[in-house]
Amino acid sequence: MISLSDSSLDAHGIHHEHPKNGIAVSITHVGLTYTTSIEKRPTLKKRLTSLGRGRKYTRVVKALNDVSLDVHYGTVLGVIGSNGAGKSSLMRVISGIVPPSQGRVEVYGSVSTLLALGVGFNPSLTGRANVYLGGLAAGMTRAQIDRQFDEIADFSELGDAIDVPMRTYSSGMFARLAFSVAATVKPDILIVDEALSTGDAKFKEKSLNRIKELRTDDRALILVSHAMATIADVCNEVVWLHKGAVMMRGEPTATIKAYQDFMQVRKSAASDEDV
Amino acid sequence: MNVYEPFRAGLPPMRAYLRSLWSRRAFISEFSRSQLREQNFGSVFGQLWLILNPLLLSGVYFLLIYIIGGSSDSSRFAHLTSSLFLFYLISNCLTGGVKSITAGGRLILNTAFPRIMLPLSAGVVALFRFIPTLAVIFVIRSIVGLTYSWQMLWAIPILAIALLLGFGLAILISCINVYFRDITSFLPYMVRTLLYLSPVLYEAKTLPERFQKLEAANPIYHLLDSWSQVMVYAQAPSLSSMLQALAWALGILIFGSYFFLARERDFAVRL
Repeated sequence: MISLSDSSLDAHGIHHEHPKNGIAVSITHVGLTYTTSIEKRPTLKKRLTSLGRGRKYTRVVKALNDVSLDVHYGTVLGVIGSNGAGKSSLMRVISGIVPPSQGRVEVYGSVSTLLALGVGFNPSLTGRANVYLGGLAAGMTRAQIDRQFDEIADFSELGDAIDVPMRTYSSGMFARLAFSVAATVKPDILIVDEALSTGDAKFKEKSLNRIKELRTDDRALILVSHAMATIADVCNEVVWLHKGAVMMRGEPTATIKAYQDFMQVRKSAASDEDV
Repeated sequence: MNVYEPFRAGLPPMRAYLRSLWSRRAFISEFSRSQLREQNFGSVFGQLWLILNPLLLSGVYFLLIYIIGGSSDSSRFAHLTSSLFLFYLISNCLTGGVKSITAGGRLILNTAFPRIMLPLSAGVVALFRFIPTLAVIFVIRSIVGLTYSWQMLWAIPILAIALLLGFGLAILISCINVYFRDITSFLPYMVRTLLYLSPVLYEAKTLPERFQKLEAANPIYHLLDSWSQVMVYAQAPSLSSMLQALAWALGILIFGSYFFLARERDFAVRL
């Protein structure tokens, strides 16, 4: 649940709610298993015909396997790994969107629950309505959103388009609004899951600068990205996930190098692509 | 501090769940209102349609009964319109609720909140759409000259039961739709069948005795019968009818909520 303090935090962190190096997120032996059906759209007919044959169209996915991880305040943690490594699953467990199948997650502070991507869930509503609904669903009060709405709208540079149904938005406008919400609602723990990688060059730079501004001692940032240059630039700690397990955790340059050696990708324009 | 741990026993920790639901009640009202606005977005009459729809519908039935049917039975017209409007409250809960989870994909995937808020919002939308029809019912009653009495206050508990049932149905069907998407296609026929099986186009007392017994299996039979008794004849409904209606409503609400809550942690990976 997000409970945001009224105090305005500047880049130097004038207000310390949490001791430096206090634990923000503690993850112990977390496993996440789920059963998915292989059919793209589960239908009653397929169910009925498969019942007689005793065939099961399901598959057990082990998304996370015995992951233990502590995130301290003041940390900017980069999460890297190939597609399907469990990065987003881990973020969903930390945000309380999906409960873990094993283990325990303790979160000390308010989390922006990937709020950014929740914005725009209903494309026929206006950008304004979507920001309010996303915020209310995340547990903010109307007054809290009222206070921050203008800043969100300004940062997104959407202008009048904020009052137009979101189905008319370009993907860049969508992403700009989503990022603006995440970066304006200043939570104790901010999780940015690939939301940085859209938008034009100018907005990318603006959002990267905002991330840097948000690096304070009393906040923990978790960045999931495939853009290694950004991770190396912004983070002070990197964790590398592979097939649901932690492969390595440590200093950014070394961890990124180990990951790239493992994946046999060289430092190239594609792997390096900035936010 | 928030702790997230596995829960295998089915239901999530209920106290925390209900507290979290209550703290987000503003979402339900905001979401319902924006959905209502959206439904008439871009039309000339806009929100006026909330009152135009029931007026036009009763106009059609006026044509059918008084002009084509040549009848002058005012209670029949009042029964038809008032029962139909209550029926729409229930059927709007079903049709609005069915996709409430599957349409909330982005929100469900990216935000932690009690998922039951989405079908509850569908129920609130149905209620918002029902309220103007209530006014139309009273206008019609007055025009056709039906009497009023204090017994009509029974309408309040009946509406409360109807809401419990509507919320229960919305919760249940939204969850079923996550697993069986076909239910969306079946739904219009189910609603139509339910309409014909229920005392809307006819009055309960005109049914043959043996059918009346079978109707105990219809969750809205006693509800609609009691409603008609109160709104048309201004008489108190029978206690056994009220109790049966309440039993159905609570049964569906409790079963639907259990079914939903035991599965909702699964939704994020099923969408």
